[in-house]
Parts: sequence; structure tokens; C-alpha cells
Amino acid sequence: MSVKVNKVWLISLTLLFLSLIILNNLVRGDWGDITGGFANLLKFWNTELWPPEWSLIFDAQSEPPNCNVEIGFFCSKAYTGMLETLKMAFVATIFGFIGAITLSSFAAKNLVPNYVLVPTRLFMSMTRSLPSIIWAIIFVIVVGIGPLAGVLAMVIYTIGYLGKLQYEEIEGINREPLEAARAMGLNHSEIVSKVVLPESGNTFLSQLLFMFEYNVRHGTVLGLVGAGGIGLHIDRAMELNLYNHVMTYLIVIFIVIVVIDFLSLFIRSFVTDESEVGSPSFLTVLLPASLSQRLFSQKQSED
Amino acid sequence: MAKPIINIIDLSVGYSNPLVSEINLTIQPGEIVAIVGVSGLGKTTLLRTIAGLIPKLSGRIVGDIRTRGGIGYIPQRLGLVRHASVYHNVELGARCGVKKSTTDGNLFNWSKRKSTVIHKTVELVGLSDKINEPIRRLSGGQQRRVATARAIAQQPELILADEFLSELDKENADSIIKLMRKFVADNQCGMLLVEHHLERAKQIADRIIDLSEFEVYSVEESE
Repeated sequence: MSVKVNKVWLISLTLLFLSLIILNNLVRGDWGDITGGFANLLKFWNTELWPPEWSLIFDAQSEPPNCNVEIGFFCSKAYTGMLETLKMAFVATIFGFIGAITLSSFAAKNLVPNYVLVPTRLFMSMTRSLPSIIWAIIFVIVVGIGPLAGVLAMVIYTIGYLGKLQYEEIEGINREPLEAARAMGLNHSEIVSKVVLPESGNTFLSQLLFMFEYNVRHGTVLGLVGAGGIGLHIDRAMELNLYNHVMTYLIVIFIVIVVIDFLSLFIRSFVTDESEVGSPSFLTVLLPASLSQRLFSQKQSED
Repeated sequence: MAKPIINIIDLSVGYSNPLVSEINLTIQPGEIVAIVGVSGLGKTTLLRTIAGLIPKLSGRIVGDIRTRGGIGYIPQRLGLVRHASVYHNVELGARCGVKKSTTDGNLFNWSKRKSTVIHKTVELVGLSDKINEPIRRLSGGQQRRVATARAIAQQPELILADEFLSELDKENADSIIKLMRKFVADNQCGMLLVEHHLERAKQIADRIIDLSEFEVYSVEESE
């Protein structure tokens, strides 16, 4: 037993040492002024980043030009930018999901023969091989600066990324319902809609929510190349060296991502396979389904 | 004599090597045939080959069963869509059984007729109160009733069932056997089932094929 533990330690330390050597090689031995690094960061934080420019969140700005709402927040740059990013992510996730589910049903080896599967997977790999920001640059060239380029970039990336997750999920579903449907003579679209979707629905929903979160996060970056959303404001602020503005936008993004993450967990708690919890509460969101089920059943028996 | 539902001639099945070689079998309308034998003989492989799920090695399968809805297949673990409701599962059979041509292609009428068939079939198997329950919440016996209802709603030419009576208590097994025998007789379709227990096979089938002995005999003869 102790020999085993020593071996694990030996391998771990070797890997760590190897990583340090590679890192040193990457920076060519020039580690810069590490000693002053933290002081520089602190100075940058105090002079440039903090305090954030709260007016970007609470005061009406010039964008959008015809915003006539009484409350300034709804006309602020942070709100309008974030809303645009959310809209982009939502639309891209929905269209991407439809594209992904269609293609993944032609990429799962338990649904189609190899001559259909291979070209479909190749196409999906192609869409996935470029990060969404590169797709955004391409679409900015094709359709010009604005949210459409961002949406198209995210749709293409979603198809490739989500499609891969989906066909792997489809390949994992039980063989027998598929065989029963095939023996009956149901066609491909019937098998997908009547067997695959209900069997994998929970996982697909989880993946859909995950992809939405992912697209919101990436939507904020896509603005940097002119593809709309709050990223566009960040890009402009960085060009003008207004880092306290950047800080404000980052705080907004952080809050929105956290809220989406909680909402996503809440929705997913409805569809866990093992849970028979009737209506979800925040307890079921924060605890694993099996544990919350146990707690709930205890509570019910006490009642 | 009526035209047989299926005529199997010199059929060999297996994957790279044959598991079952040169089997000959004819199933007449209204007849139930059971295949018995110890595990590993290729009973399930034979059934899956007839269902068209794996290619045969040699021989011929003759019969008008390859049309949509021609074969009703109940696999060993029933092949139900676990996360869907009883209605949804029986609907899979009904969408093949209720032909669109019978409602002149009118989708609304087709849907209505399908719904009537589903409700009647679910009532027949005694699960009307569970019609909207997901399969995963049903007991093993209830799930077998759903698989039976799916096959009945499909109204196939041939039902292939793989040990679908296993793990059932006597009462449940008896009621499903009675239901299946009546359905096969009324609709003049055929049924080929794999059954581990000889006694249960005798109870449901008209003829038994013992694959370990390679012997075919009628149930009446054996008794």
C-alpha cells in the first residue's frame, strides 16, 4: 500500500517538475519583474479599475438613441448591452439546438449507417474546430458589424459543440426501444421524435441550458470583434483606456452569469432521473436530488 | 389451407459463426409458436434476425411482414420508452396499426382514431388509471402490460416476443397469456415467442420448438 502511495507521489512530483521546466522554456528564462508584479496590480486596481463607473448601470445613456423609459437603468449602456448579449445567446442557442438535434440524429451510430454518419461528423467537427470568436470575425466580414454576426457565429459553434454532446448521448441510450421501433417499421424522424427525444430529453435539456450559459459567456467576448452585445461596449472602453468602465461591465456580466447558473440549476432539478420530488425548491437546487428526496420523504413522513 | 404468416426456409442466424443453422418453420394465421432451450443457443438472435434487426447468414424468410407495422417486437427488457407515458408508448404501436389511408390521409381524423384505439387498448390491459404515468414509475408487471398493449394497438401480422413473461407472478402471467391468445385468434395474426420456462410456453403456445433438441412438437402431442 505504502509503495503504491509513494509511486503516486513520485509521478505527481515528476509531472509538476516537468511542467515547471516546460514553463521556463516557454518564457525563455525571462520571468520579468515578479517581485513588483503584485504592487503593479494593486496600483492598477486603485487608480484605474476601482471605483467602477456605476452611472453606466443606473443612468440613461445615449444608447439606444430613442430610449424613452422613465427609469434610467433600462436605458443604460450596461443594461442594453447585456440584454442584447442575452438575446443573441438565446436566439443562437435555440437555432443551434434545432440544427444540432437534426444533425446529431444523422451522426449517431445506433441510428444511421457509416456512410451517413461519417460525413455528418466531419461537418460537425469542422464547425467545432474554429472557436466562436473566429466564426464571429468571419461573419463580421460577411454581414458587417452587429449582433447578426455574433448570432451566426454562435449558431455555427453551437451546432458543432452541442451536436457532439447529443450524438454521444444518443449512442448511450438503451438499444431495445430503438430496436422495437425499427422492427415496427417507424421511420427515422419518428424514431428520433418518439424514442430518442423522450429517452434523452433530460440530458438534452441540461445540455441546452449549459449551452445557453456558454453562449452568454462567449457572447460577451464576441463583441470585442464587433459582433454586438456588451462586448462591443467593453471593446470601446478598452480602446479609450477607460478601465473602470470595463470593470463595471465585468461586474454586470458576473452577476448575470451567476443568476443564469442558479436558474439553470433550478430548471434542471425538475428533470433529474432519480428524483421523484414533485415541485422543486431551492433546497433541491442546492442539494443532489437523492439527498433532497431523502430529506423530503422524511419531512413527509413526519407530517 | 390459409396462406402462412411466415415461412422460414433453411435459415441460419448468428454473427460471424452460425448460432442456429438451417431452421425451417411455418407459422399459420392464429398460431402461437414458442421456442425453448437453454441460454446461449441463439434464440434471441433468431428472433432479432426475423425482425430484420440483424442480417441472416443464409436461408429465406417468406411472408408479407416487412411492411410498416407488419412486425410487433417485444424485446427481453420490453423496449419501452422509459421516460415517456403509457399513452406515448402505446401510441408508437397505434401509429403503425391505424393506417393513414383508412382516414383518406386526413391527419385530424387519423389522430382521433389513433387516440380511440390507444384508450381502448390501455383499458383492455387494465391500465386506464395509469395512462399518463411515465413507464419508470410502473411495476414490472404493469410494464409488461404496456408492451402487450403496444403490440395489440399495432395490429401486426406477426408478434415476436422475447421472454416477455419472465419475472411475472402467476396471476399476471395468466392474464397476459389469455389476452395474447385472444388477440392472436381474433386477428388471425401469428406469434413467435422465446420462453425460458417450458410450462409457461406450453400454456401460451400451440407448438413448441426445443432448440436444444432441435425438435418441433405440438403442445397437445406433448400432453
